[in-house]
Amino acid sequence: MRLEKLRVPFNYLDRQFADMDLYLEDIKELVMTGDFTIGAPVGEFERRIAEKSGIPYSIGVASGTDALTLSLKVMGVGPGDEVITTPFTFIATVGAIVSAGARPVFVDSDESFLIDPSKIEEAITDKTRAIMPVHYTGNVAEMAPIVEIANRRGLAIVEDACQAIMASDGEQPVGSIGDAAGISLHPLKNLNVWGDGGVILTRSEETYEKLRLLRNHGLFTRDEVTVFGQNSRLHSLQAVVGIRLLEQMEWITDQRRSIAATYDEAFADLPEFIKTPPVRPGVRHVYHLYMLRVQRRDELLTYLIDNGVEAKIHYPIPVHLQEAAVSLGYKKGDFPVSEESCNSIVSLPLHQHLTSDEIQATIEQVRRFYGK
Amino acid sequence: MVISKPQIPYVDLAGQHKLLKAELMESVGNVFDHGQFIFGQEVETLERQFAKLCGVKYAVAVNSGTDALILALRVLGIGPGDEVITVPNSFIASTSCIILVGAQPVFVDVGEDYNLDTSSLEKAITPRTKAILPVHFTGRPANMAPIMELAKKHGLLVIEDCAQAVLAEYQGQIVGSIGKIGCFSLHPLKNLNGCGDGGMMTTDDEVLADKLKVLRNHGLKTRDECVTWSINSRLDTIQAAILLVKLKYLDEWTQHCREIAAFYQQNLIGVGDLRIPTDQEYEKAVYHTFVVQTGRRDELKQHLADAGVGTAIHYPTPIHLHEAAAHLGHGAGSFPVAERQANQILSLPIYPELEQESLNYIVKSIQEFYQT
Repeated sequence: MRLEKLRVPFNYLDRQFADMDLYLEDIKELVMTGDFTIGAPVGEFERRIAEKSGIPYSIGVASGTDALTLSLKVMGVGPGDEVITTPFTFIATVGAIVSAGARPVFVDSDESFLIDPSKIEEAITDKTRAIMPVHYTGNVAEMAPIVEIANRRGLAIVEDACQAIMASDGEQPVGSIGDAAGISLHPLKNLNVWGDGGVILTRSEETYEKLRLLRNHGLFTRDEVTVFGQNSRLHSLQAVVGIRLLEQMEWITDQRRSIAATYDEAFADLPEFIKTPPVRPGVRHVYHLYMLRVQRRDELLTYLIDNGVEAKIHYPIPVHLQEAAVSLGYKKGDFPVSEESCNSIVSLPLHQHLTSDEIQATIEQVRRFYGK
Repeated sequence: MVISKPQIPYVDLAGQHKLLKAELMESVGNVFDHGQFIFGQEVETLERQFAKLCGVKYAVAVNSGTDALILALRVLGIGPGDEVITVPNSFIASTSCIILVGAQPVFVDVGEDYNLDTSSLEKAITPRTKAILPVHFTGRPANMAPIMELAKKHGLLVIEDCAQAVLAEYQGQIVGSIGKIGCFSLHPLKNLNGCGDGGMMTTDDEVLADKLKVLRNHGLKTRDECVTWSINSRLDTIQAAILLVKLKYLDEWTQHCREIAAFYQQNLIGVGDLRIPTDQEYEKAVYHTFVVQTGRRDELKQHLADAGVGTAIHYPTPIHLHEAAAHLGHGAGSFPVAERQANQILSLPIYPELEQESLNYIVKSIQEFYQT
């Protein structure tokens, strides 16, 4: 069968509305209560996402970025401190470190697009306060050596799990390994709400209690402020959407993993052109992004887009080479693996609402580009 | 005549939404149809209409009034080593924003209008002062002429905290159009209110407006280019869609609140020891809150509660006396007017849906309190 130019969208949001009336009913109900600010639905959502993630505590906040910033702040990270992370990530990972008042220090990523634990130790200085591994693409950073280093050197670990809800390494779900983890609920994430939103997961009751203050102006009660804090609340309206979508979380994750397996298999015979995403044994990759390393990337990208397959690059510029990073003093060549990745990666459409025709069309277009 | 005891809540969001339900759900439904939950067209439309409303060239929407203040300070280059002058009787966020950008808040006491006492302003200015942040508290414009004059004389920037004062007028100018930047809250309890957090900044300066648009979105100039570290603070498209519906009614609602204020003034001036807020000749307040003062505040509050009338206190503790402010070195007696008011203020119900019958009852209950 030849599939001519079937359009394969990267974004699936329009397909989430097959059962829109259910959501609208929930929202209607909420609108009539006026319970918009850290209302009952937020508490309910927090309880359910904690349970699903297998973590004792969760706190809803305004965005994944804020989840990371507040996690760093609650660990005591601030001006004068350094936080170690990777430059192969979305800009917000680093923005969060700067927002907390600290200085980002980069360590190169590896072939799995994850922080290279073997390079962390040499980046530690007297000022290092925390390590922020990124579970990029929905894969899980290699946490065992990171935890070992952090324990030995007395550093906090904040997991950037913005793309990795429900991912795990063996028995350990993301968010259970570090001191806190930030998750994004942005409209394009595996668990999405219909605007910005984020969640912090933590095992520590003390951290949880402090975060409840930090997200809400430092208000201990309506009238008592114990610490100056920002305003970063998950909207009740978004929690209502999140509660409903959370019910589909296993299905969403299974779909994504199954499509990834189909892609892996379909490209397995083209190792000279395509490297499929590496996954360590025992890791449950949740494929927020299905990211390949490919030959002739720019040509492939143009070809796919011209043929209706909406592929993307996440992202073309590593963070250390952004204009914002000039003051950090890094230069081209400092992080060769990340830099090379930026030039060879491509993300194929992968989401829970892709049809098998769309999956086959994507595979066929990629193979056709390489003459296979 | 026996009046059966009604229940008059201090706020009634459900009442407002009952009337608007169909319109709100249609507007929100349109967002589902296009699926642009971040920076959908509704956000830009709202910004355009809001700018027009305030008589400025540009409006930039963000995630909260607090973030509006933070980004306004940041875009004007205010940070560590700088002082910003503000008032101690506001909601905590008008001081938190200063602390969160790393600057030092310097308080000036307030006058009987609950706003910055301009006669004390000049002596608070030091060589480190960078900006004045007057709050248009209770929906009443601060006395801007002397503030602007002193700012000009000393080369200071003025950021208006308009969180409570959308559409308030000072000498014929709408607040938010007088200083360099105006900062608004669109929180559910504000005069123009979303169903979740939201904020807006207004300015006539195109360069500032452009910078603010970058600052609210991770410092991203394009999808892939980050020019400065920043936060994620976007107004959800869904909230913009809700606000666009409500904006149509804002004039009407504002007028209605002014009528309620006039009714309170007519019936409560001269009752007991009550101090009743009234407009000065230079202003048109919008009465976000209607704050009276009495030496018997707690008794009156209890009396009204017993009568079924909800009231509130905005706020019982001045900012400089909160635990969070301990390091600023103020104490009881530092700002005597704000402190005295904190013990005497009481906010009466004021919202467009209040029926005349309820208003009669509230006034009668207050009159009764002073007769016994």
